[in-house]
Amino acid sequence: MIEGLFDRGAMQAAERLVQFTGERHRLLTHNIANLSTPNFRPRDLDPAEFHASMQDALRRRRETAMPNAGRLEMRDTRNMTFRRDGIDARPQPTNRNILFHDRNNRDLERTMQDLAENTLAHNVGMELLKNQFDMLKMAIRERM
Amino acid sequence: MVAQRTRLEVISSNMANANSIYDADGNYAPFRRRMAIFAPGDPSTGSEQGVHVREIQLDDAPFRKQFDPNHPHADEAGYVKYPNIDSTMEQINALEASRAYEANITAAEATKAMIQSSLRLLA
Repeated sequence: MIEGLFDRGAMQAAERLVQFTGERHRLLTHNIANLSTPNFRPRDLDPAEFHASMQDALRRRRETAMPNAGRLEMRDTRNMTFRRDGIDARPQPTNRNILFHDRNNRDLERTMQDLAENTLAHNVGMELLKNQFDMLKMAIRERM
Repeated sequence: MVAQRTRLEVISSNMANANSIYDADGNYAPFRRRMAIFAPGDPSTGSEQGVHVREIQLDDAPFRKQFDPNHPHADEAGYVKYPNIDSTMEQINALEASRAYEANITAAEATKAMIQSSLRLLA
């Protein structure tokens, strides 16, 4: 990361969001693939947990000398470790639905809804990142 | 998706053999219902992601009996054994399998959309 160039504004937050949604997408697709697997327990990451950590990091950065620049230090949560270039996730089994006779507690509707939400969140993160890069590009080219 | 299709194939073979009382060699042996059993992971790539068909199990449920004393394969009481297949159940399973297949297609499409938006960063 080039300091002063890629650690300004919303770039790091958008990057973290994309990392998180990417990680969660992997889990959700795995859950969908195993909709009819006996004894399978879907596992998921809690977006609220991620957002709380993000909010906390943004708040702490805002209190520094340069409120919208500098590294965004996200604190590790119970199920997520934030590395420099990614997130180590420890997904937890969900207990949102009753156990079916095949001992799988799938919840098709909610999983699909999560998938749609997650995809949209990922696209939002990507769009924000793209805007940031476009802005940089514009500054480098020195023309609109 | 491959797993769900295998399941659908198993179900259609069950439906097709709902009245088969001979095996492929022509001996009297009513067809037993087949069931595709899934397990998470993919042994062909060694990854923990995804799903695969672990085995095709035979259903040990008793055969359906039909009273037909003049049938060449009737037992002492006059009953002929037919496959233990309930076509209503098979229909329901087929529907579930095809819906699960659709859910996987949706997931694949979401993945595609995400990759596409990531690739747009380059352009």
